[in-house]
Amino acid sequence: MNPNPTEAAARAFEVVRQEAARRRQAALDDPRPAIRVCTATCGIASGALETKAAFEEALVEFGVEARVFTSGCLGHCYAEPLVVIENPGFPPILYHQVTPGLARMLVRYFLLKGDPSFEHVLGAIEENDMIPTVMDFPRFNREKRVILEQCGTIDPEDVYDYVAAGGYAAFASALQRPPEDVLQEVIDSGLRGRGGAGFPTGRKWELARNAAGSDRIVICNADEGDPGAYMDRTVLESNPHLVLEGMAICAYAVGAGRGLVYVRAEYPLAVNMVARAVQQAREIGILGRDVLGSGFDLDMDIYQGSGAFVCGEESALIRSIEGRRGTPRLRPPYPAEKGYLGRPTVINNVKTLATIPAVVGRGAKWFRGIGTDNNPGTAVFSVVGDVVQAGLVEIPMGTTLRTLIFDVCGGIPNKKKFKAVQIGGPSGGCLPEEFLDLPIDFDSLTGAGAMMGSGGIVVMNEDACMVDIARYFLDFTQKESCGKCTFCRIGTHHLLEILDRLTRGEGREGDLETLDTLSRDVKNGSLCGLGQTAPNPVITSLRYFFDEYRAHLEEKRCPAGSCRALTAFYIDLDKCARGCDACVGSCPVEAIFTTASRKKSVDQDLCVKCGECVVHCPPEYDAILKVSPPHLAPRMERPPEADAAGSEE
Amino acid sequence: MNAMVNLRIDGKEIQAPEGRSLLQVCLENDIYVPNLCWLAEMDEPVASCRLCFVEIDGRDRPVSSCAVQAAQGLVVRTDTSEVRALQRSALQLLLSVHDLDCAHCPANKQCELQRIARFLGVALKPKRLEKTVKNLDFDEGHPVLSIDHDKCVLCGRCVWICRQSGYPILTMARRGIETYVSTYGLADDPETGCRGCLDCARACPVGAIRAQESG
Amino acid sequence: MHETVKAEEAWIIDDTRAQISKFEKKRENLISILQLIQHRHGYLPPESMKHVAQHLGMAVSEIFGVATFYNQFRFHPPGRNPINVCLGTACHVRGGEVILENFERKLEIKAGQTTPDREFSIDRVACVGCCALAPVAVVGETVQGKMAPSKVEGILLGFQIEKEKERKRHESESN
Repeated sequence: MNPNPTEAAARAFEVVRQEAARRRQAALDDPRPAIRVCTATCGIASGALETKAAFEEALVEFGVEARVFTSGCLGHCYAEPLVVIENPGFPPILYHQVTPGLARMLVRYFLLKGDPSFEHVLGAIEENDMIPTVMDFPRFNREKRVILEQCGTIDPEDVYDYVAAGGYAAFASALQRPPEDVLQEVIDSGLRGRGGAGFPTGRKWELARNAAGSDRIVICNADEGDPGAYMDRTVLESNPHLVLEGMAICAYAVGAGRGLVYVRAEYPLAVNMVARAVQQAREIGILGRDVLGSGFDLDMDIYQGSGAFVCGEESALIRSIEGRRGTPRLRPPYPAEKGYLGRPTVINNVKTLATIPAVVGRGAKWFRGIGTDNNPGTAVFSVVGDVVQAGLVEIPMGTTLRTLIFDVCGGIPNKKKFKAVQIGGPSGGCLPEEFLDLPIDFDSLTGAGAMMGSGGIVVMNEDACMVDIARYFLDFTQKESCGKCTFCRIGTHHLLEILDRLTRGEGREGDLETLDTLSRDVKNGSLCGLGQTAPNPVITSLRYFFDEYRAHLEEKRCPAGSCRALTAFYIDLDKCARGCDACVGSCPVEAIFTTASRKKSVDQDLCVKCGECVVHCPPEYDAILKVSPPHLAPRMERPPEADAAGSEE
Repeated sequence: MNAMVNLRIDGKEIQAPEGRSLLQVCLENDIYVPNLCWLAEMDEPVASCRLCFVEIDGRDRPVSSCAVQAAQGLVVRTDTSEVRALQRSALQLLLSVHDLDCAHCPANKQCELQRIARFLGVALKPKRLEKTVKNLDFDEGHPVLSIDHDKCVLCGRCVWICRQSGYPILTMARRGIETYVSTYGLADDPETGCRGCLDCARACPVGAIRAQESG
Repeated sequence: MHETVKAEEAWIIDDTRAQISKFEKKRENLISILQLIQHRHGYLPPESMKHVAQHLGMAVSEIFGVATFYNQFRFHPPGRNPINVCLGTACHVRGGEVILENFERKLEIKAGQTTPDREFSIDRVACVGCCALAPVAVVGETVQGKMAPSKVEGILLGFQIEKEKERKRHESESN
C-alpha cells in the first residue's frame, strides 16, 4: 500500500468540507435558540435524559420554538447535568446541575422572558459584557484542551459537525504527503503513548512500517480497564471521529488497510457511538476503497472486549481477538513486528490516537511547544475521589500535582486534609503530600515509584486507609491476573492474603518483611506488565506510609478509622440530643437503640460500620464518632424492653 | 543447517547452533537450569514457570533463558545471587499451593519439584507463605485420564503436547489462581474425544496428570 | 423452575444454531459468537457451546477454556433484573462495598448469585466509568449514581411496586 500523494484527495475532501460548512451555516442562521444537553454516560447517570425531556415538554408548554441537541461530555462531571443555551441576544451560557425543574424554569424565564437566571449559571462560553466567562475560572483556564477540545461542543453523532469544526482535514492533508513524511512528523513530535507506558509513538509506527510481513493492522486500545479512569470512554462517546481520524492517519503512515477499535463491553454507549461514526465515515468516503480518491484502501471494525483487565496489555489483547484466552506473550517479538495472526500490528491507546490529528495537522513543532522536552503535549486525567470538582481535566505535561488538585479541581472538600493521591490505577502508586510539587509527566512519576498509567487520579483525604487502598488494588489485580505465570498468579495471591489479614487486625510477625521482598520478586519476575506493576501500590504505600502498616500490625489500629474490623462507631452521649431520632432510621441493620436517658447508642454487636448514621446525624450535634481499635468504644447495654429499633415514646 | 556460535556460560566456552534456545544449550552441556514449562520440541517458549532465569552481560536484569537464542559472544551466568533469589521465590510460590504428599504421590522421586528444591536448597514445606491448596473437588469426568488439580503446577506442558496431536483436548480453564487444566465436555464426546496416547502424562513434571488406574 | 430452564435452553439452542451459521468458520470469530449468544440470552448454556464447537471445528473444551477466561460470560441464567455494583477505585473510596452489602442483605444472596425466583442477580463490576458519581450501581440498563443504602431500599421498593402493578393489571385483565 503506497499511494502517491494526489490532488484527488484534496478535491474530494473539499466537497465534504463545503457540505459541512453549508450545514453549519444553516444552523447558525437558524434564528431559534439552541439547547445543548450533555448526554454522555455520566450525564445520563445524573439525569440528563430526564432534563432533555423536560426541556422538550416545557418548549411545548410555553409555546417556544427552540432546537434541542445532545452533545458529549464537557469533563465537568461534578456539575452534571450540564446544558449550554444559545439564546439570540445573549452569549452562549453554560448551566450546571440542570434538573428537570430547572429546565422548565429556564424555558419560562430565560427563553421566554430574557432572564438568564444567573444563580444557575456556570459561565458564558464567549467573551461578553454581561456574564463572567468560564475562562475566568481555573477549572477552565488552566486546561489545554487538545484531545478534549471538541468534546461537549459538537454533536458526536453528526460527522458533518465534526468536519465543520475542522475534523478530517488533517487526514485529508496527510493523504497529500508521502506516508514516510507523515510518519516522520509523528516521530519528530516526540509523542509518547498515552496508554500508560509512554513508549514513543513514532518509533512504534516505524517498527510496524519496516516490519516484514503484509496485511498490517491498526488497533485502537479502548479496553480502559483501570478502575476509576474514564477518559477513553469520554472521548469515544463525545468525539468518536477524532479517534477514527487518528487511526486513519496511522493506517496511512504505516501502510495498514484495516483498523479495529477494541472497546470494552462495559461501555455500550461508546460502542454505539463508534459504530455510528464508522458508518458515517464510510458514507462520506473517509473509509472504504480508494479513500477520497487517493488510491488508499481502509476499513474499520469494532470488537468488544469480554471483560478481562489483562486484555488491555497488547499481546493479551491480540490473543483475545484471535479467539483465545487472553494470556500475554513474552516479548520480543513485539506486536509491531509480529502481532495479530503474525502480522505487523500497531496498538495505540484512544488518547494517543486522539492526539494524532492535531500533531499531523498543526505540526510537530507546535506540539513540542506544549509540555516539557521529554514529555511534550497534554495529558487527560480523570480526577476523582475527595476533590471538589471531580471530572476530566486536560493539562500540559509538567503541570504539578498541587496545581491540578488544588487550583484546577478545587482542593479537598468539607475542610478535610489531603492525605495521598493515587496515580496510575492498579499499576501506579500512592504519593503523599511531599510530592505535591512533582511535575506530572512519565519520567517524574516513574521516578517517584508511581506511574502515569492511563491517567486515573484518585485524591484521598485523611479518612482513607493506605493499607486498605493497597489491599483494594491487590484484590483487583489478583482477580484480573491471567494466571499464566507463577509470580503474578501466586505472588499476588499471597500479597493480598497478607494485606487482608492486616486490615482485619490479624497481622503476624514477619508480614511486613514478606510484603516487601515478595513485592520485589513479583515486580522483577513476572511475565507481563500486569504482574510487574501489580506490587506498586504496596511498594509505594510501604515506603511512604510505613507507620500505618505498623499500626495495623502491632496495635491492631487503623489510624484513618477506615478498616471496618478495626473501627467502632459510637455515640457521644454528651453531644447526642435527647429525643432526636435522626440516626435510627438510617441504620440498615437496626443497630441504634434508645438508652434509659432517651439518648441513642450503637449496638456494637449489630453494627456493620456503614457510616450512614454519621451522615444523618444533624451537624449541630455531630454526635457519632469513630474510634480505632474498636475496644476503645464505650459499650452500653441495650435495654431489654427496647427490642424494636427506634424510640420508645 | 545453522552456523555454530561460541558462548561463555559460567566461565565455560561452549559451542552451540545459532538460534538454539539458551536453556537447551545449558542443559545439553550439563549445566542445570531449573525449568518446568519448557519442552525441547517447542518453537516458541511459554515462559510461564519463571524459573529458568540467567544473567547475561549487557542486560540489566535476569532473563528467561528459554526465550534467549544462542548468539555469538553471549556471556551467561546461571548462578548469581539475583538469579537464585528469583528462582527460590518462584519455587516457594509453587510449593505454597501444592498438595505435598510425596510418600503417596505416583511421581515420588521422579518429581521435578523435588529435583529443583534439592538443587536450590529450598525446603518443600513453605515457611513464610500461607499454604493454600485449592481443593478443587469437582470431577469433569474423563474416560482415560485423572487430573490432581492440587498437585498441578500449571506448567502447561500437557496442554501444549495435546495440541500437537492436531485435535486439542486439554485446555486451561478459568483465570488467575483459579486456573486449572480442564477436560470439560469430553466425558460424553466419544468420537472426538481423547485417544488415550498419554503424551500428557509423560510430559507432566510432577504427579498431576496420570492414566487412571485400570482395574 | 427446572422445566422452565430446560424449555428455555431448547429455544436458546435453536436460536444459537441460526445465529452462528452467519459467522465464518474461523477461530477469530469465537468470542464474537459467544458474545452474541450471551447478549441474546444472558448466559451460555452448555449445549450452545457444543454447537459453537461443532461450527468452528474446535473441541468443546477449547470453547469452555476461552469462555471461562472472561468476566463477561455467565454459565447460569442471570436474574431478570441484573444488579451490577461498581467497585472501581472512586466507588470503593466512597463506600461501594457498603452498597454491595446492602443489596446482598436485602436480596439475601451474595455477589455472583441469582435469587430463587430469578428476579434479581448481583454482580461486582470493576469500573463503569462514572467515577464522579461514586458510588455507582447499574440496575438493569440504568446507571444509578450517588448510591446510598437508602437508595438501595428505594430501588428495590420500586421493583416491588412495579410487580404489584403488574399483578393487579393481570388480575383485572383476567376478570
